[in-house]
Amino acid sequence: MKKSCIAMLLAGGQGSRLYALTQDVAKPSVPFGGKYRIIDFPLSNCANSGIDTVGVLTQYRPLKLNSYIGNGQPWDLDVSDGGVYILPPYLGAHEQGSWFSGTANAIYQNIAFIEMYDPDNVLILSGDHIYKMDYAEMLRAHQENDAACTIAVQQVSMAEATRMGIMSVDEHDLITEFEEKPKQPKSDLASMGIYIFNWKKLKAALIADENDPNSSKDFGKNIIPNMLGAGERMLAYRFRGYWRDVGTITSLWDANMDMLSTDQINLFDPDWPISSRSPICPPHYAGKDAKIIHSIVTEGCEIYGEVENSVLSSSVKVGEGAKVLYSVLMPGAVVEDGAVVEYAIIGENTVVGRGAHIGAAPDGTDSWSVATCGPDITIRSGAVVPAAAMIYTGEEV
Amino acid sequence: MKNFHGIIFAYSAAPELRELVTHRTAASMPIFGRYRVIDFALSSLMNAGIHDVGVIMQRDYQSLMDHVRSGKSWDMSRKDGGIRLLPPFGMPGYHSGNYFGTMEALNGVGDYIRDIPQKYVVLLLGSMCANIDLNAAGEQHIRSGAPITAICSTTTPPTAQHRYIVGEDGFVKTARFYREGDEEGYTSMEGYIIDKELLVRMMDACAAENHYRFHRDAIAAYLAAGGKMGVYLHEGYYMPIRSVDLYYRANRDMLDPDKRHDLFTPERPVRTRHHSLVSTYYGESAVSSNSLVGDNCRIYGTVENCILSSEVVVEEGAHLRDCVIMRRTTIGRDASLECVIADKDCVIAPGTALKGSEKLPLVIPKGSNI
Repeated sequence: MKKSCIAMLLAGGQGSRLYALTQDVAKPSVPFGGKYRIIDFPLSNCANSGIDTVGVLTQYRPLKLNSYIGNGQPWDLDVSDGGVYILPPYLGAHEQGSWFSGTANAIYQNIAFIEMYDPDNVLILSGDHIYKMDYAEMLRAHQENDAACTIAVQQVSMAEATRMGIMSVDEHDLITEFEEKPKQPKSDLASMGIYIFNWKKLKAALIADENDPNSSKDFGKNIIPNMLGAGERMLAYRFRGYWRDVGTITSLWDANMDMLSTDQINLFDPDWPISSRSPICPPHYAGKDAKIIHSIVTEGCEIYGEVENSVLSSSVKVGEGAKVLYSVLMPGAVVEDGAVVEYAIIGENTVVGRGAHIGAAPDGTDSWSVATCGPDITIRSGAVVPAAAMIYTGEEV
Repeated sequence: MKNFHGIIFAYSAAPELRELVTHRTAASMPIFGRYRVIDFALSSLMNAGIHDVGVIMQRDYQSLMDHVRSGKSWDMSRKDGGIRLLPPFGMPGYHSGNYFGTMEALNGVGDYIRDIPQKYVVLLLGSMCANIDLNAAGEQHIRSGAPITAICSTTTPPTAQHRYIVGEDGFVKTARFYREGDEEGYTSMEGYIIDKELLVRMMDACAAENHYRFHRDAIAAYLAAGGKMGVYLHEGYYMPIRSVDLYYRANRDMLDPDKRHDLFTPERPVRTRHHSLVSTYYGESAVSSNSLVGDNCRIYGTVENCILSSEVVVEEGAHLRDCVIMRRTTIGRDASLECVIADKDCVIAPGTALKGSEKLPLVIPKGSNI
């Protein structure tokens, strides 16, 4: 059936800057903010925006992501015409198949999937951003301006602009120039990696780009500059709400800390629910001597010690006399009696042994940063893991 | 488990549950800050692989239907079979919507029971809290050779119940109905595994003689005629939800880690309807001690020995002790509540002081503005 707009979610990247946290899983399936995984945000945004067909392009370590998405039921995407589809690279009959060699190539390889829905427009999303956005409004702007491509942009500081794709616009917000990571930015409007394309035009651009041997098959580096160069009408769509890239340990930790206050992003919003596939557990239990301050705690947790300024996912255990400060504990993490976890991220099902000490408070120098333990690690009793450490699954600590 | 069908009785609510069942039946009462009572019967069936289940309803079932829906949460939304909600007046030839007893309720859905394709039927109360290993119970039933097996508890809840005394051959020797206290034998959980053929025979006999009661009529006659009845012993947590007192006790039992881990054993997870919620937030001055707290609460005050459902707000300076608070209830600034059961959607104004006692907790009906 013909659709006005379908979404393609780029979820194949390794997320190498999350190191131990993405050793065995794709970045979009990294737990976030207590109840969620990163991919819940784009999927919920799609469902809330009335986009009921979503292709999820996977490549790197997709197993957990596949089982997490399942039939899409938690996001109400289990519909009869459309729904959520996992799209891994595949082989063809007469030609050699290949891995996705870039973001544009990933979409190119799935042209046949998109054609099944014969959409007027295609929304391109990435799986590493935390935000609430009504894509229907962006689509309206795209259609009203008769744009070939609409790029969601946000105002950033000039310092940040040097690390992002920067748009210069005219008085109608039509894009006049696009620069990837400019040394001297001419504008402060940064691309959020959210694009709506007219499908016919995108398809032509993808095919042309695929035939260019010098192209790196990337939206930011090739497709967008080429379309702009060809004189296509391209619109910048200004977004003013909360939006964070969580591609690095520091940004992931920062964004988790943002969840402690509702004035950054309100996840209590019944008009825009962010849904997740979370296990059903009994309510969390706070023991007799538990102390929980300025923190979020999720079902299934059992807290006997102290928790301050922290984000606890489901089924986290904090033992007696243990302290958790300024930290992010992913589902099933255990902090045994007397252990201290501060300024740290603890991966899923990792056990911090009795009396161990993970991370350290900032000491005022620039070298400080968050200590990270990957998933499924057992940290020995009494072990000390310093600030900025990165512990991988399989390491003995 | 193949060849087993489940029937859940959700048609009644003990009058001793008072205001808590004004808007609902006992089976759909919110409990333990997260669940509805019927989740225990449904999850016990689900964990034994029993997907074909009939739920007998009679009145006040709006909230029950809203909770159970298609049965998806318990994998009971199937291509064939699956869950069936059975309201009164639904079957041809039976036009009394009043059920004077379980046998009458079964006859009220007689055609459904007669059409059950499976050989065995598991009968469970929708108003009890227990995580029953029905795989083990079913195997024992088949092995015993008796056409009916009573599911009994090794514990004795503080209320009148039926008891079965087991003879040396392992079958029921004597039945004692409506007994209080911890005397001889085992407490009946009013759950049975019964051969469908025997169940239909009992239904026909009761219909012919205008008998309505399961225990007093059907079971008593069956045993008097020399019928064999096995007993399956459930050794885990068990509490029937028959009064405000038992409801309050059951909730507070879950503050005990041993009882909680026993009822919520990871081997047989208890499922319930899923809500999209965020985690609970604790403010700078929050105190939470010996309490169970659901998701999406916001706690700025003090909570001691309490069970809080999701979306409860405890404002600054408010103090809750020994309370059970249901979904979306707000406790205003500096309010003080002790031994209170507050139903859903209540608003307790700032500064209000309310006090019940452990023996007689104060019940605040759904939607109250105090």
